[in-house]
Amino acid sequence: MAESNKPEDFVKHEYEAGFVTDIESDTFEPGLNEDVIKRLSQIKGEPEWMLEWRLEAYRQFQEMTEPNWQKVNFDPVDLQSISYYSAPKKDTDKPQSLDEVDPELLRTYEKLGIPLHEQKALAGVAGAGTPAEAEASSEGGGAYSNVAVDAVFDSVSVVTTFKEKLAEAGVIFCSISEALQEHPELVKKYLGSVVPRGDNYFASLNSAVFSDGSFVYVPKGVKCPMELSTYFRINAENTGQFERTLIIADEGASVSYLEGCTAPQRDENQLHAAVVELVALDDAEIKYSTVQNWYPGDENGNGGIFNFVTKRGMARGRNSKISWTQVETGSAVTWKYPSCVLKGDNSVGEFYSVALTNNYQQADTGTKMIHLGKNTRSTIIAKGISAGHSDQSYRGLVKFQPTAEGARNFTQCDSLLIGDKCGAHTFPYIENKNSSATVEHEATTSKVSDEQMLFCRQRGIDPEQAVSMIVNGFCKEVFKELPMEFAVEAGKLLEVSLEGSVG
Amino acid sequence: MLTIKNLHASVEGTPILKGINLEIKPGEVHAVMGPNGSGKSTLAQVLVGHEAFEVTEGEILFDGQNLLELEVEERALAGLFLAFQYPVEIPGVSNLQFLRTALNTLRKHHGQDELDAPSFMKLAKEKAKQVDLSPDFLKRGVNEGFSGGEKKRNEIMQMLMMEPRLGILDETDSGLDIDALKTIANGVNTLRADDRSFLVVTHYQRLLNHIVPDVVHVLANGQIIKTGDKQLAMELEEHGYGWLGINEAEAAG
Amino acid sequence: MTLAHKTPLTPLDDAFTPEGGKQLPAPLKSLRDIRSKAITGMALPNRRTENWKYSSRYLKLDPELAPQTQATGDADYRSVEGVYRLVIRNGLVDLESSALPTGDGIDIRRFADLDDVTAQSVARKLDTTLDHGTTQLAALNTARLEDGVLIRLSADTSVDQPVYIQYVTDAGASGSNYPRVMVEAGQGSKMTLVEEYISNGDQPVLVDSVSELLLDDSANITYIRLCMDPANVRHIGATGVKVGANARFDSHCIGFGGDLRRHDLQVRLEGQGGYARLNGIALTQDRQHYDNHTAIDHVVPNCDSDENYRCLAADRSHAIFNGRIHIHPDAQQSHADMNNKNLLLSTNAEIDTKPELEIYADDVTCAHGATVGQLDEGSLFYLTSRGIDRDTAATMLSMAFVHELVGQVPLEDIREAVNTRLTDFIEASFRRAAE
Ligand SMILES: Nc1ncnc2c1ncn2[C@@H]1O[C@H](COP(=O)(O)OP(=O)(O)OP(=O)(O)O)[C@@H](O)[C@H]1O
Ligand SMILES: [Mg+2]
Repeated sequence: MAESNKPEDFVKHEYEAGFVTDIESDTFEPGLNEDVIKRLSQIKGEPEWMLEWRLEAYRQFQEMTEPNWQKVNFDPVDLQSISYYSAPKKDTDKPQSLDEVDPELLRTYEKLGIPLHEQKALAGVAGAGTPAEAEASSEGGGAYSNVAVDAVFDSVSVVTTFKEKLAEAGVIFCSISEALQEHPELVKKYLGSVVPRGDNYFASLNSAVFSDGSFVYVPKGVKCPMELSTYFRINAENTGQFERTLIIADEGASVSYLEGCTAPQRDENQLHAAVVELVALDDAEIKYSTVQNWYPGDENGNGGIFNFVTKRGMARGRNSKISWTQVETGSAVTWKYPSCVLKGDNSVGEFYSVALTNNYQQADTGTKMIHLGKNTRSTIIAKGISAGHSDQSYRGLVKFQPTAEGARNFTQCDSLLIGDKCGAHTFPYIENKNSSATVEHEATTSKVSDEQMLFCRQRGIDPEQAVSMIVNGFCKEVFKELPMEFAVEAGKLLEVSLEGSVG
Repeated sequence: MLTIKNLHASVEGTPILKGINLEIKPGEVHAVMGPNGSGKSTLAQVLVGHEAFEVTEGEILFDGQNLLELEVEERALAGLFLAFQYPVEIPGVSNLQFLRTALNTLRKHHGQDELDAPSFMKLAKEKAKQVDLSPDFLKRGVNEGFSGGEKKRNEIMQMLMMEPRLGILDETDSGLDIDALKTIANGVNTLRADDRSFLVVTHYQRLLNHIVPDVVHVLANGQIIKTGDKQLAMELEEHGYGWLGINEAEAAG
Repeated sequence: MTLAHKTPLTPLDDAFTPEGGKQLPAPLKSLRDIRSKAITGMALPNRRTENWKYSSRYLKLDPELAPQTQATGDADYRSVEGVYRLVIRNGLVDLESSALPTGDGIDIRRFADLDDVTAQSVARKLDTTLDHGTTQLAALNTARLEDGVLIRLSADTSVDQPVYIQYVTDAGASGSNYPRVMVEAGQGSKMTLVEEYISNGDQPVLVDSVSELLLDDSANITYIRLCMDPANVRHIGATGVKVGANARFDSHCIGFGGDLRRHDLQVRLEGQGGYARLNGIALTQDRQHYDNHTAIDHVVPNCDSDENYRCLAADRSHAIFNGRIHIHPDAQQSHADMNNKNLLLSTNAEIDTKPELEIYADDVTCAHGATVGQLDEGSLFYLTSRGIDRDTAATMLSMAFVHELVGQVPLEDIREAVNTRLTDFIEASFRRAAE
């Protein structure tokens, strides 16, 4: 028999998206100052107010200091050594069709399995799920035949698919740079309305230097006819990615949006500081899913992405709903707390999260549910898996303001530890200022038990597969919230992240 | 098929099995009885390769192959199946997913194609019906929230799917109502074949009315102290272990 | 976080670090001096200080609170039967009012009366049970030490009656006092220790108390802490405990709110087979405050802990619970269970809770649960449908909420006294709410 058959021996991370794409790009010299912001704004041909907005954010940013309350350790980020703009070189005009896009770039996305060719996209990836499962949940049935994709490469959006089809429904889905040209009034109205310029250190930085990102507007009463999706990829060296996403669902509208992220394998840390703002008006619903697989660094903790993002949704209207689902396996250091401000009466906030850390990854993540409106409801299901020498914290805030009559929250945080060198922590803050509001919080910690391993192996399942199966089972409640084909992707991602050789 | 020679095993330094000898031929059903704590489950677990037990002496041959050299999963693929006395729960992993993975691994091992989804579903539903489990159970997590009896039925259902060469049943009958006992016995009996054997651990002669054994062993204090035919089980039922001169307290110690 | 530089820091007023401690034996005096120096001008916790996040606004250390309190009236010593009594009045040991055990095996002594060797050993052990990062104001206690009490149990001593410490504060004039107790429980010893805080007078006073308990292997200590001071007493208390192998620590901390109430209970399980049970009840009304901070450190493998805290907040009051379980690396086979339930009895009350887990070992079972809610309408309806008026029904249900924990207090006398206080308190708060 092998020396050891402990679950941790079957956990080894191989990063599959770590290749570098060799394409020509325009990249700013590293450094941050007002001139850089002005140049950036100028390249993008932004309106004057936008530049002013950025400069004001930069002024506020300079007043701030880097936060240090998270339970993570890393060397401070040197913001002057980062380049704030890098774009694949191309004709000054945006490509009108895929044919005009650099083939190298297309290949990159192909390698990542992201369909940018609409033909291919139309063919869909339906049926990628395990058929038995599909059969079992026969009500499911992969109805997704298409997904509209916006691909962001380093600092710019390179292509958005299915624009016409979306336009027919009245849905605006484009890069935020384009939205600034085409729909400045919408951007002006909502940008910063959820995450103000001075919100926090990295959000202010983002407000000053954001280079691109996605913009979605779903008009009154429209149910967006397809999944919207953005893939972010950091390719260039020494660049930071500062994307900004703004999604607005007008009255009675609904939309499901998914983002995915990867980056090449590099020895230095790279910064990703995004801001995502969601606005849901009366009876509107926004579902935002993330499959985050930024490069996590190598086995010894060298390199990897610093993922410091601010994501917040404002359930502004009555009966509106904002739902965050995230599967996080990447990044060297993560801190992010996708939040919901439940302002409208009867509004609903949800947070479903799976975070897996391995090797020397550190993650401090969770959510905030701020209950303002009457009868607002929120649900938090957070599943953390720690392996290797990694350290993971759930940090959450559930807050009921005096106005939140009859509001409710349910929180469930479960940690699974694989191996005895990792850490799993839970820091939930619960603040209740309304006697008719109710909150329930539960947390547990467990490990993959020897008995479970024996049981699976006695049925002929190899240990690696057994661990991955048990971990997937642990995450089930979250995966079922993802659009089906992405659930499959997420499951595979966990599998890959846990892959290794037998001890 | 299975030959156990002078098997000694201990847990954390405490000897539990103290020289077991046993030979099971193809097609035979062997019953193992014995007082609580005598080592029956230990024997079953050692056979499938539980790592908490250390084999200190002796050998186990399965179809001429040295079983002790194989990993747990390799033994399973070689055709050993244990219906556990206390089946574990695996939250979130559906029975279907679990079974399908297990079955297809086995099929691959035998050079067969993986079963496609519809045929797999058909098979699973059929087997579930055989042990009176509603197909709803297939979607639930492995043993998650199952009652004692449902867990046992689930074990047999898995055995029916995997069609092992040697089925080991560790007290599959305890906790079952009379009807369930028959259902399970029927399940086992449908699998009986010339090249398939069973090792049935039980406390009650009752089960052996339905699964008729060829050989009955009495295990006490880590050793087989008596071997006979099905008659032996009946006599035990009537007279208790005292009849064999076993002091129960001592045997358990 | 980012606003840190905008929150001005308030330094501790110099009035809080006067000369003193002349009665203390040399080693303790020098410890006092070191602390005193260290905290001079120290920044007081503010809302950016994590462990004072919800409570710093109640922490007002005005210079008028600085002087040591003087006797201003007759203390109301509630008589308790069947106990050894130790009175600490305004932080000073009052032997005359005490009734101490005389038998072998237990030794109760004022710090001022310690011989050199013992004083040295006490000085070495003092301040070792608390995490200084989170109990900043326990240092003020050491810095203001005038006297203290050492309770020592020799091995295998079983104290036949509870040792009952009454802390009396005279609040006829404003001021502060700094009681200090150190318990050393030898191997296999056993004792029930009760600490009751009471006061007379209505001026603002500050009590900054620290108790430290060292449980040697197989020792068994039951600790009951009753914070019964009226609202004008601001109380910052810390209890630090080290639990040895196979030792057992049971605590029952029951308290009523005030202008400032803070209790830090920190338990370190340092020997295998150790066990800790932490029960707590806090009630607040009017504009009162109560903040319970607990920390259980599983330092070694094979220890268990169970924690159960309940808070009720009425009127415009504010109750806080922060419980931390820390499983250290290699502390395998730890079992820790924490439960915190809270009832908001009025629309204007606030309850904040933060049950934390910090886990560095995998073969452990840890769980925590927390709820904040209100009385169950269904149960209220059921009771009123049987003809019970709503206030009475609400009182019954609120009492039921804490009943289980009160029931676990091992001394009948105390159980009854607590029950009466609780009922009065809850009844009054529903009456006020109805008015
Ligand atoms: N992991 C273990 N650690 C310590 N002792 C063990 C362990 N497993 C089994 N034992 C001991 O070994 C002896 C045999 O146990 P076993 O489970 O094989 O008995 P059994 O014959 O199956 O009993 P029962 O009829 O009650 O199921 C018992 O005394 C048991 O306590
Ligand atoms: Mg058994």
